[in-house]
Parts: sequence; C-alpha cells; structure tokens
Amino acid sequence: MRVPRLHLVTDPEVCPFDRLLALLPALVAAGVDGVHLRAPDRAAAELLVVAQVARRVVVPPAVLLVNDRIDVAVLSEADGVQLPERGLPPEGARRLLGRGRLIGCSVHSVTAAERAAQAGFLLFGNVFETASKPGRAAAGLKALRAVTRAVPCPVIAIGGITPERVPEVVATGAHGVAVIRGILAAPDPVDAVHAFRAALDRVGAV
Amino acid sequence: MTTWRGARLREALRLYVITDRALARGRADIEIAREAIAGGATALQLRWKAGPLSEALQVGHALRALCREAGVLFVVNDRVDLALALGADGVHVGVSDLPVPETRKLVGESMVVGFSPETLEQALAAEAAGADYLGVGPVYPTTTKPDAGPAVGLEHLAQIAGAVGIPVVGIGGITAANAAAVIRAVAVGVAVISAVVGAEDVREAARQLREVVDAALAERGQ
Repeated sequence: MRVPRLHLVTDPEVCPFDRLLALLPALVAAGVDGVHLRAPDRAAAELLVVAQVARRVVVPPAVLLVNDRIDVAVLSEADGVQLPERGLPPEGARRLLGRGRLIGCSVHSVTAAERAAQAGFLLFGNVFETASKPGRAAAGLKALRAVTRAVPCPVIAIGGITPERVPEVVATGAHGVAVIRGILAAPDPVDAVHAFRAALDRVGAV
Repeated sequence: MTTWRGARLREALRLYVITDRALARGRADIEIAREAIAGGATALQLRWKAGPLSEALQVGHALRALCREAGVLFVVNDRVDLALALGADGVHVGVSDLPVPETRKLVGESMVVGFSPETLEQALAAEAAGADYLGVGPVYPTTTKPDAGPAVGLEHLAQIAGAVGIPVVGIGGITAANAAAVIRAVAVGVAVISAVVGAEDVREAARQLREVVDAALAERGQ
C-alpha cells in the first residue's frame, strides 16, 4: 500500500470528534492522504463508532489508520494501524491485521527505528518543538536524517512542522509529514492543508 | 484446544481474580497470580489500564503460560487485540469497550467472551449476542474502580442471574465475609481484585474465598 505523504493525526483535545468528522471530507479533498485516528484516553466503543464514520469519508487514495488499537482497526475496516513505540510489535500486528494493511510505527530514536524497520513506515518526532508534547525537547533535523538513513522504509516527520519547514524536512530524506495542530488548530484547517500539500508537491516525491 | 463451555466454564468462574498493579503493593503480577492460583483461583484476568502495551504483552505471556499449566481460565480485559496476540482463553468487555457482537466477530467461536452489563436489558442483549458469562456489580461498595458507580446490590445480581441462561459472577467489594451471599444470589462465582491482589497473604486470601464459595455452592448441590 502506498505510504501517504500528508498525515493528519487527530487529537480530541484539539478538535472534538464531531467537529473532526464534519471537517474530514474537506480535509481529504484538500490533500490529506493519511488520517490517523488517535485518542489514547477514549474507550474502544466510542473509538469504533468514530472510526466507522471516518471510514466512510476517508476514501482512496487517502488511507485511514487507527492508532494502537488493532481490534478497532480490523472492525472499522481501516487501512492499517499506527503502533506506539511501546505498543505491539509490527510482526504481531501483521498477524492480527492480515495482509495488505499498512503498519506504521512511532519511533523516537534511531535504535527504536531499527527495531521497528519491519513496519510499512515510521513516524519520527518530535522534530521541532510542539504544543502537543509540551516540555519535550525537539529531536531536530539531524536526528531525522539519521533515522531516514538507518532504515529502508519511508519515514514521516512529526512535531511542530509547518508548510515553511517542509522543504528542509523533506531534504533529510523524509517521505512526508504528519500534523496535528498545524491543521486542526489552524484558523482555517482546509487552507492549512492546501499550504502543506502545495509545499510537499513543490519539493516533489522522494 | 480446550473449550471453556458449560460445566467447565462454570467451574472456572468460582474464584475469578483480576490483576491490578496499583493494589499489588509492589509485587509483580506473575507473583500475585502464582499465589492466587495456589490458593484456589480458577480464573485470572489481566487488566491493563496504564503503561505500554509492550509490557502488557510480556506480563501477559507469563500469565498465559502459568494459567495453561495450572488449568486456570486466562482472560484479558478490554483489549481484544491483546487477547488474540496472547492466545488468551477469553476476553472481557464492559459497556464502554468494544460491543459484544463485534468482540465475538473478532475472536471467533472458541474464545470465551465475558461482559459487564449495567442493566438487565444489556445483560439479555449480551447473552443474545453470544456472551459466555456476565460479571455483575458492584455488588458491594468498592474503591477499586472509581468509575464503577454505586453498589447495585444483591437483588440486582439475583435479577440478572435469574433472567439469563449464561453463568453470572458477582464483582465489587466481595470478601470472604460476604461472598456466600453472592453465591446464594445464584452467582456461579465471585470476581475479586483488592480482596486477593491487595492482601498481605495472597494465597491465604484466595484460599479463604474459595472455601466460602465452594461451601455456598455445595449448599446448592454444585
């Protein structure tokens, strides 16, 4: 499965589910091609309902990924899962998901990246400082470059990424970017998606 | 593969111990489980509410092996994916977890599905959807689960146990001192957390509870 380049990671604290679901069709139409349903504090029943609604609007070429919960991913017929660094290992997730699903792993170091290299792609961050991870120092572009060089699979950068920073991020060998607040907390989320998309298209495919 | 149905499942639900790291006084889950089983626990549930899943997987593998060796029913709470990854005997869901029909769809026919209803209607719907047993409570006031709500009492337990055909275990605030009343409300067993996990002598606490449960069941000729 094709690995998306512009990932939207959801956060119910930043954007409640009802608003998110209302926004999603326009965000996908504007160029988000990967949607990560992420809500670690929410119970599975709620997550499943949201995933099932999201499934109807996140249509190809965009892919829907469920964070952490492989059971919810299977039931909602999502395209795959995003595993936390200390979640189930990718090979275990693959057995539960079946073939043809996309497995992303979140990593915060080269060591973790090498360990998770069997994944379809890695999410590395936080590259810059971000309000989503207050008090956590930015890993920086150098660390991002080290990860992209260490693993054969595509690496997606996350954490404080803006459209202006896309060229330097992609220059490290990153395949794409993942965004929470840069889209969901933007004055106009659709405009923000257009700006990210334009920036990614300008630097071209890696 | 052994199936946990009918009489075998009812037997396995006599003394159902649920792990809780916060109550374990720093003792490892596996240590608690070993002692509880030595004292007479017949089912063990891994309840993982905080901490990385990779760690739950490690702990779960050890518990899985221990329970298999001891012939104890091994159940995973809430996370159906974890239950499947561990090859658990069962999975237990509540009203805010994955619904029973979806849970059954994921685990297939051989795995036991337990459900905690809050109402009689939910209990009947879960039975119709393929739940194998119910956990009803809190029977008595409990501090273990802050979200569990006020005690529903023995009458509520008796009402549900009388209305469904699947076995029912009571949960919430159960100790050796009040467990007999739970069994007399037609429960097949008791589920406990703090009474065993939080006990200074886990094995002895389990042994006492099991003794009370067995005696009360014997009164019914079971």
